[in-house]
Amino acid sequence: MSDLRRVEDVLWEIPADARADMRVPARVFADSELVEAIGADGSLEQLCNVATLPGVTDAVLAMPDVHQGYGFPVGGVAATEVEGGVVSPGGVGYDINCGVRLLAAPIGAEELGERRVTLVHEISRSVPAGAGRDSPSGLAGPRLDAVLVDGPRALVDRGGIGTAEDLELTESGGRLDGADPAALSERARERGGGQLGTLGSGNHFVEIERVDEVHDREAAEAFGLREGQVTVLIHSGSRGLGHQVCTDFVKRMDAALGRHGIRLPDRQLSCAPIRSAEGRDYLAAMAAAANFAWANRHTIAHRVRGAIARAVGEPVAQGTHQVYDVAHNVAKVERHGGRELCVHRKGATRAFPPGSADIPERYRGVGQPVFIPGSMGTASYVLAGRYRAMEQSFGTVCHGAGRQLSRTAARKRVKGAELRRTLEEAGITVRSASNRGLAEEAPFAYKEVDKVVEVVERAGLAVRVARLRPIGVVKG
Amino acid sequence: MPYRWIEHTGELELELEASSARGIFEAGFKAMRELMSDGEGGRRLEVPVRVVGTDRAALLADWLGELAFLGEARGLIPDRLSMLELDEGGLRGAVQGRQGDPPHLVKGATYHRLRFEPVGEGWRARVVLDV
Repeated sequence: MSDLRRVEDVLWEIPADARADMRVPARVFADSELVEAIGADGSLEQLCNVATLPGVTDAVLAMPDVHQGYGFPVGGVAATEVEGGVVSPGGVGYDINCGVRLLAAPIGAEELGERRVTLVHEISRSVPAGAGRDSPSGLAGPRLDAVLVDGPRALVDRGGIGTAEDLELTESGGRLDGADPAALSERARERGGGQLGTLGSGNHFVEIERVDEVHDREAAEAFGLREGQVTVLIHSGSRGLGHQVCTDFVKRMDAALGRHGIRLPDRQLSCAPIRSAEGRDYLAAMAAAANFAWANRHTIAHRVRGAIARAVGEPVAQGTHQVYDVAHNVAKVERHGGRELCVHRKGATRAFPPGSADIPERYRGVGQPVFIPGSMGTASYVLAGRYRAMEQSFGTVCHGAGRQLSRTAARKRVKGAELRRTLEEAGITVRSASNRGLAEEAPFAYKEVDKVVEVVERAGLAVRVARLRPIGVVKG
Repeated sequence: MPYRWIEHTGELELELEASSARGIFEAGFKAMRELMSDGEGGRRLEVPVRVVGTDRAALLADWLGELAFLGEARGLIPDRLSMLELDEGGLRGAVQGRQGDPPHLVKGATYHRLRFEPVGEGWRARVVLDV
């Protein structure tokens, strides 16, 4: 896009007057190389579309892992005024509260040795992938309502699943206020109730890793991480339940746009004033779906601990602690610069700095943990939020490496079976229900995670704490 | 083929062409059948479907979303459309197939870049599917 100009070392801007319908500028965190890749798909046009939303404030933002999505780009951030602004389900995405949870085991990769193969196998047996509609942890009726209102707390209090410490070490304590099960359609309940504790498909995974390098010793110590240690990264979300909430509200808000006098360049940006009936109902349903997603990752983590107990031993399972759990598809009402804003993060992660009252007390000296999964076979990163993120990005950083190749293009370049062999030869044990799905998630389909993280650090939004290398993957 | 897949970085984009509006919905069914037909199936099912929509473009997205829902929630691997009627409020149809475990590739259909328009003597539509 010709209006894109560099305003800082790794910050680019399309001014608000680039298009008559933009209300605020569009800003992109990237270096020269990434900005070229970003300009090659439709993500900048999508970002400018987001800048037209009523009540959008300051600037809309693209993280360095941004890529073309639908409505919002994936890796997009937009804040709207609570008074007079809108909420857009497309700004959260279909997989409400898709996110990442990191567990750290009390043993090193060398000590785990070849038992990693058994561990991968045990995890793949105990965490259903694909549609997963008949999960043994499936819920309905009042038990599902309890999870929708209280998230994983309902599982800890009533089912003895996980611990109170897991809740403390989860973003927002694993519970968004204002969740209302009555705001969900019957179809959303039908679709998601049977899926609690399941991985799903697409880019979801459970990955066993080794802490490959520690970059910030103080923060790593606070997070309970040390070089060589075995960790487990869980990536999943609210499954069909969240998907149906988004589907229902995109449709309902699309039908009400005329009544609210809203014109949009893309119907997937369908939105409604936060204070309208549609806006209130969506936020109540979205909160319920977000709580379900935290309960889903919580249940998966419980099963992973069970798999660790079977493969490595009960003491190792008992000593496996949760580092943190972060959402990367959610809208939250937060205070920024003395204003109450609805911050939409779609494929973007909250990254609050040291001292924030919104992060666990034990991490307030070093900042909020943030997890950036790379592609299969490459590194993932643990970061810690920094103050500049509050000034520059509503306390937000990236969420992954970001796709650069379409799924079709990835499949044309490699067969699933061939990729599986390559990964095994590199010492990564792989379990995947589908060779097609495996090929679509090939490492070369993604940008270089090292470069994405470097940009985040150069922009001052977060610092690198540790790098993780995969040794086993269970793919959704 | 009454449909073709378009390159999209993160998702699947579908272009449909037909000589009638009804044909677009049939072509959409065929495209979804291609994506969902790999799974093993058991007993045969016929599921009646009613989809309502404010306009044809939204109706198309909702129709494809309905097929994805039937696959995910009810395990329907669709193979035949035994009835399809368009009326003012939406569409009515009956989908036949086997009950099983269809590939969970597509989770729904979006309103992004949604198009449904007359072209020459026929119709063309575009829809982005959520993967």
